[in-house]
Amino acid sequence: MTDAAFFDGIVKVLFVCVIVTSAYIITTKNLISLVRVYSLQSLVLFAIALALWWYTNEPVLLAIAILTLVFKVLLIPYFIASIQERIRIKRDIDFHFLSPTSSLLISLGLMIAIYITLSRILPGSVYNDTLFFFGAVIGISLVLMGMMVTFSRKRAITKVLGYLSMENGVLLFGIFATELPFIIEFLIVIDLVILILLTTILTVGIDSTLEEYHNRLHRFYLWEEMEESS
Amino acid sequence: MILAAFLICTAVASFLVAFSRTHGQMNAAAMGLAAVFLSLAVYILIFVPLPVNTFLVGNGFFFIDHLGLFEVMVATFLFFLATIYAKGYVGNLLESRELEEGSLKLFYIAWCLLELVIVLAFFADNLALFWIFAEMTTIISAMLVAILSAKENIDAALKYIFVASVAMIFAFVGFIFLFEITRSSLGTGSLNWTVLMAHASEFPPVMLTASFMLIFIGFAAKSGIFPFHTWLPEAHAKAPSAVSAVLSGVLLNVGIYGILRVFAIVHQTSAAAVIIPVLLVFGIFSMGIAAISMLPERNLKKLIAFSSIENMGFLLVGISVATPVAIFWVLYQVMAHAFTKASLFFSAGILHRQYRSDLSSDAPDNIHDVFRYQPLAAWGVILGGIAIIGMPPFMIFFSKFFILLELGSLSVFALAIILVLLFVASAALGYFVIRTFSQTTPDGEHVDLVPYRTPASMKAPIIFLVVIILVLGLMFPAGGDAFIAQIITELKF
Repeated sequence: MTDAAFFDGIVKVLFVCVIVTSAYIITTKNLISLVRVYSLQSLVLFAIALALWWYTNEPVLLAIAILTLVFKVLLIPYFIASIQERIRIKRDIDFHFLSPTSSLLISLGLMIAIYITLSRILPGSVYNDTLFFFGAVIGISLVLMGMMVTFSRKRAITKVLGYLSMENGVLLFGIFATELPFIIEFLIVIDLVILILLTTILTVGIDSTLEEYHNRLHRFYLWEEMEESS
Repeated sequence: MILAAFLICTAVASFLVAFSRTHGQMNAAAMGLAAVFLSLAVYILIFVPLPVNTFLVGNGFFFIDHLGLFEVMVATFLFFLATIYAKGYVGNLLESRELEEGSLKLFYIAWCLLELVIVLAFFADNLALFWIFAEMTTIISAMLVAILSAKENIDAALKYIFVASVAMIFAFVGFIFLFEITRSSLGTGSLNWTVLMAHASEFPPVMLTASFMLIFIGFAAKSGIFPFHTWLPEAHAKAPSAVSAVLSGVLLNVGIYGILRVFAIVHQTSAAAVIIPVLLVFGIFSMGIAAISMLPERNLKKLIAFSSIENMGFLLVGISVATPVAIFWVLYQVMAHAFTKASLFFSAGILHRQYRSDLSSDAPDNIHDVFRYQPLAAWGVILGGIAIIGMPPFMIFFSKFFILLELGSLSVFALAIILVLLFVASAALGYFVIRTFSQTTPDGEHVDLVPYRTPASMKAPIIFLVVIILVLGLMFPAGGDAFIAQIITELKF
């Protein structure tokens, strides 16, 4: 059953899926579908890890796959979606610096640049295996594309999704560039969970409804000043 | 085993905080914890032969060496003083209702946890473990910045989290590189400091350079190096002053510690030739940006925050010189900067309480008649300012002087630039102090200002720190010299 060509084909299809989802994350304005796409992207990663496990029989990969499924496909998107419902914000239309089209073009350029850089840096053992090399390139590209989302969007919740997408890139890179020990992937997931908990709580503070906000301003004696000046 | 003591004490202290009713009790619990941490660090210093790496049954996750212990000593000492200071400061925040009663427990529990994760970060043997603890310090300290729950604070905290965490992701990619390097040259991958240090000379330089650059991005953001410094002035200026002191005195050291450790590995290979100029350039740029931003700054806490960026840049320059003498004085400067900066933030906190130009910290401070209302804080800022710009006989003078001396033998051109930048920064600080502190109201006029009665718990740490930076500047104990020299041998410089 371990048909190398078949495995190769499957993983390549999955790579394309990863790129499509990340392009969608960069350009979309709809927050709800943003979370769903993130969940889908994690699902693709889960599939990639599973395929790799099936190919190499490394138990670590199965563990990583399960971890991805539980946290990134199910728990984290669910949590973010429930927060979104509470703060009632559906769309994030503010793009700093970059419009969707230009960010797509930039990410294309980034991928080419990363391809060239990595082909010089990575040792021959990885470089000569096309599939693994592509995995590493896509991983790093995902990191940079996620960073673009984090810095070009205004709402904290979109920034969080950018960060999550970056982390998916790290996972992809880790799987393909080396044999990452499970403990490391586990640590980074812990980090994600804590980070999301905190940022979303703070986001509720910022993005919450206007009424609550006025109360808070009032308490800090800022509101009177604003009324006077206006 | 001693690590378990740190963990258990934190658990007990958090428990006590959770079940105490008044602010005094919570502060007492936190202070007790800080005292225990400090005494544990002293205990390790005196009784435990270093380095210890067969910890928790030799799993390779934690170890204690001289560098880690050195950083922990500085951190726990500052935490102890900051907790004492917090007693008066947070008490006043409560009275003026800037801090809600409900947030108080959260504040102290986060405070205790922050202390724990910082200690664990310095004692971590595994890079990935160090990374996760460094991330935790970011997250918990961001919580402490946001605790006042005004919009500006939350904004500053979110900015801090995003800039630092995004950069730390790059550091993680760098670790994966490093892991791959060790796997291909040693057979089994490893991220342990001890293993990496032992085999550093066998690593291929090109990949090591790439790995260092990525890791540098992460830790540079943690320590406020240009161009990742953007979070620092806001977070430091908007945090409660007790937190600012810890942010500046302890948390920035976490980043510098990481850079120093990884640089010690890179230094053993030929990759150092590429890395050293990079460090020098980033250091000079940080100093330049900070010095220029300091000139027009009219907000005291922001001014001090920019001065932190400048000092971190200077530390980077010191690291880039990479001679044993320079590294010695870099470590000395880490300690000196931590103490001096904490005293400055403590003094600024008192002025902040008195003049209430609070929340909108972009606004200039409305400070006047400072010697009449808060003479101690005024002298704290003046003496701290003199110390931070590197006047003898305070501690920082010696570290700056000897690092510059070492740098001069390397490149006179860089030395000249740095001297100019140091001058600009000193001028900015002096200009601010003279302009602000000389504002007085004429005798006859009525001043509508209630004097803030500064509690002794806020005064004592300032006096103590100023005395310490003076005394240690005049005579540094011989044991201290030997201790730092030991670190340099361990880092193989």
